[in-house]
Amino acid sequence: MSSAAAPLAAPGSDPLFTLVETIEELSAARTVEEVAAVVRSAARRISGADGIAFVLRDDDMCWYLDEDAIGPLWKGRRFPLTACISGWAMLNRQTVVAPDIYQDPRIPHDAYRPTFVKSLVMTPVRPHDPLAAIGAYWAVERTPTEDEIIKLQVMARATATALENARMYASLNETLARRKFLLRELDHRCKNMLASVHSIADQTLRKSATPRDFVEAFTGRLGAMSRAHELLTRGEWGRAALLEVLSAALEPFGGIDGRRIRADGPAVALSPETAVAFHMTVHELAVNAVRHGALAGESGTVEIEWSVDMAQPRRALAFGWRERGGRPPASDPQRKGFGLRLLEGGLARDLGGEARLLFDPRGVEFSLEAPLSDRIALA
Amino acid sequence: MTGLRLIVVEDESLVALMMEDMLADLGCQVVGSFGGLAAAFAWLEGGAEPPDGAILDVNLGGEMVFPLAQALSERQVPFAFATGYGAISDERFAAAPLMRKPVSEADLLQALQRFRAAALSLPPGGR
Repeated sequence: MSSAAAPLAAPGSDPLFTLVETIEELSAARTVEEVAAVVRSAARRISGADGIAFVLRDDDMCWYLDEDAIGPLWKGRRFPLTACISGWAMLNRQTVVAPDIYQDPRIPHDAYRPTFVKSLVMTPVRPHDPLAAIGAYWAVERTPTEDEIIKLQVMARATATALENARMYASLNETLARRKFLLRELDHRCKNMLASVHSIADQTLRKSATPRDFVEAFTGRLGAMSRAHELLTRGEWGRAALLEVLSAALEPFGGIDGRRIRADGPAVALSPETAVAFHMTVHELAVNAVRHGALAGESGTVEIEWSVDMAQPRRALAFGWRERGGRPPASDPQRKGFGLRLLEGGLARDLGGEARLLFDPRGVEFSLEAPLSDRIALA
Repeated sequence: MTGLRLIVVEDESLVALMMEDMLADLGCQVVGSFGGLAAAFAWLEGGAEPPDGAILDVNLGGEMVFPLAQALSERQVPFAFATGYGAISDERFAAAPLMRKPVSEADLLQALQRFRAAALSLPPGGR
């Protein structure tokens, strides 16, 4: 049974059937690689060409993503849009037909000499704003039939839709993955926060003489934590600037007004956890200053300064809080409360640094030295 | 539980503070408290006398505590995980004692009893 005599051609030998089948396969492709695989094999069958190349536009470059040919072409290589015929087709939004490539000045002949190619058709994918091109190559000089050109163009149109689908799929998957990640993060942070609140309640209760004391201290600490989280939520749980954290933490105590409370230092970015820990640390310092230190009277000041010594091989943040002009602080307390323990062991422990609290007669001084890391970095 | 020498590995210093207090209330001595693997390994490998037990947070700011758990196992130091997550993802330690956060005193006591039993079962001369 010859195919010419058959009333219905066997699937696979009828070019129209092949084209329909290809369009179906393209619409099922979910990634750019899958699209390329379909184009590569189908375009050769449909056009009868000796070689097919699938070229993606990558900014101002042509990227020869995939090929199927009787000899090697340019698979995996990138050329400037202006230096190859696929680029010309995409830039000019036209199909190129070259019956003899060496007679066509648009074609970079040097790139073709090592190959079998003598004639070609190059058609852009999505002509109004090309995002790829399909090239069909022959080993002989020949003028392609109208039919061959149209079939390639039909395939290019189906490929455009398939590529857009693949991109939409990729972005959908990315969004889904991001959402999953955020939910896991949220779960982790909620549990950590509950554990922290539990700890604060426990610690505050240990050092509170009366229920009123407890409520006051606990509410203050909870408020500090809440403001820290507010700041982080505003920044979408990315990094927070140290100065912002200080501003938020000191706001209930008069804020960084440049008179009583001054703050100065380079832009430093903190990870979310470190931002919360910094906030809590500064809160404890400020509470202590209002109760017993520089912010208790009318005249005391707090000087906050930080720097990063660039000359050191192991760069570290040096942060200082210095109270002056207030009442002289009580000497180093015997029984260390939560605030003190947090100051000495909290941030420094988290950051692998060192903290010192000094009860200088002129005023309380707190210093922290911590190596730069992914938790704490120059912005 | 008086006299057990323990280490605490926990990245949230607030939570670590509370754990240290709970352990101190139960008569234990916290000989080291670390926020990350590097600090804990530096201490463990720095020639310190191995502790009688360790309380390990599982997720330390993104890094898993398992390499330290392995090092402790090799030194026959018993440990208990404290985690806000479900089961332990590393199957080597699937059978290790697991305390849910927030850790209750009852769970902690149970872990300490295991530590004590492990300390008593050691041959003379210790680890």
